[in-house]
Amino acid sequence: MWAIASGIEGNLRAYEAVLADVPRRSRGVVTVDRLFVLGDVIGWGARSQPAMNDRLIERLVTPRPGELLPEVCLGLWEERCLSLYALGPEAGAADLVERWGAAAVEGLWRSVSRSAVEWMRSLDLAVVELDCLLAHGSAVGVEDCLTPQTPPWLWLDRLGRVQARRLFCGRSGLAFRYDLVEGRGDDRLRTLEGTRSHPMVLQGLWGVGVGTVGRIPGLATYCCYDPGRDRVTWHQVAYDDGPGS
Amino acid sequence: MKRAILSCIHGNLEAFDAVLLDLERQGAEAIHCLGDLVGYGPYPNEVVERVRSLAIPTVQGCWDEDIVEGLNACECSYPSLLAERRGRLAHRWTDGVLTADNRAFLAQLPESLALETAAGRLVFVHGSPSSAHEYLLAEMDAFMALERVLGAGADVLFCGHTHIPYARSLDGIQLRTVIAEAPDQRSIPGDAPPVDHTVTVPVRHLINAGSVGEPRHGRPHATYVLFDDESGAVELREVPYAVDKTCAAILERGLPMIFAWRLAKGLDYAERAEDASHVCAR
Repeated sequence: MWAIASGIEGNLRAYEAVLADVPRRSRGVVTVDRLFVLGDVIGWGARSQPAMNDRLIERLVTPRPGELLPEVCLGLWEERCLSLYALGPEAGAADLVERWGAAAVEGLWRSVSRSAVEWMRSLDLAVVELDCLLAHGSAVGVEDCLTPQTPPWLWLDRLGRVQARRLFCGRSGLAFRYDLVEGRGDDRLRTLEGTRSHPMVLQGLWGVGVGTVGRIPGLATYCCYDPGRDRVTWHQVAYDDGPGS
Repeated sequence: MKRAILSCIHGNLEAFDAVLLDLERQGAEAIHCLGDLVGYGPYPNEVVERVRSLAIPTVQGCWDEDIVEGLNACECSYPSLLAERRGRLAHRWTDGVLTADNRAFLAQLPESLALETAAGRLVFVHGSPSSAHEYLLAEMDAFMALERVLGAGADVLFCGHTHIPYARSLDGIQLRTVIAEAPDQRSIPGDAPPVDHTVTVPVRHLINAGSVGEPRHGRPHATYVLFDDESGAVELREVPYAVDKTCAAILERGLPMIFAWRLAKGLDYAERAEDASHVCAR
């Protein structure tokens, strides 16, 4: 079984709560043997404090005995941070300044060490495992925000790009399941060589919003996926978010 | 109104003139061009000037973009490394001969054009609505093709870039979804009943105009498309022209011989895109 989390956003206490909860999800021979973190490990929201981002990354890359080593994808905050260091697709901080103000730029800069930036550089946009795509946004990019309101053809595109049948994403921070139960239509193609007609058929694809670990004070949400039974469950863990705790 | 849609002229004035003559004979009342006026062919200035003189509404192709912005090919700008090596040679030559005036014209071309007609909203792009570099191949998954048409807000989406013409209709589409949402931030999916919904999409069309000046459908003839915006009728046109003259001009101007060879054959294996869904991330 896989545990899948996203959006820790520098909230170490929330991540600790999830780490403590994950082993409880094992059932008999079905044990949680992989942990995926779909980006936004770091952040600059209300929960983040200077140095918290660095401490969190350190916690991720050096699990304690018996803990899983998380497999981490690039998130929006990591991409923003890389841009800040002129290592992202668009160098600079215009987006950060616009959304969070100049203080966020300085704060993010100070809260992430160079070694942490090197670690971020090593992150992939997505993981494809079995017939599943796991990504912060999608294979299109970290900004891609798939939600319950996303039209079904857009979901089909995002799945089709990597020929996946399941898509786990964290960009929206929402916990949801989007089943593309069935689809049909007629596809008629005419070329200079002739015409052909094919039925358009799809069945049994789905996407999942895995929730957010660190965005909601005191409550972390993540999901588990059992590939053998093709089953997803969501879990919420309360943790002490009080000052000084 | 009968509209002629042309794409990928690629500096081939002989082919362009033959197509202009053909579309006039066919009674076309309007012309739209999907870009790539330059590149590969020996007459980039002459083609741009012809388009300008005829005031043909034109979108910017990937070649037009590259010649303006400077060649900044990431490894996905071409469908293969061999295609990229050849493309760089053609880029260097074209860059050297294109006038400042014509370069300025290419620079101001829009990424897309749209107009409302009796046949619905027509949208014109070079590659896809996502990118001038994306290939919408005929083999592309139908649901992904549908996303490109709907994403552009089009009833009929016209594209080029692949150099092989086709007309594709996606009809009678129904998509059933079941969505389970958490009712609030402190709940999880399953705490509320899922919503079962079926979407019906009216017919959509994806039409590739082929290539006037660098066809790759297996024959050397220029290709373009006629579209009747009242009846919705589509005609894929194939126009023979004096391909030998263009081939000779390619050699005379010192362009790589392979460009003449493949033009005479109407194909190039190195130019076949392998990944229809790939979007250049430049």
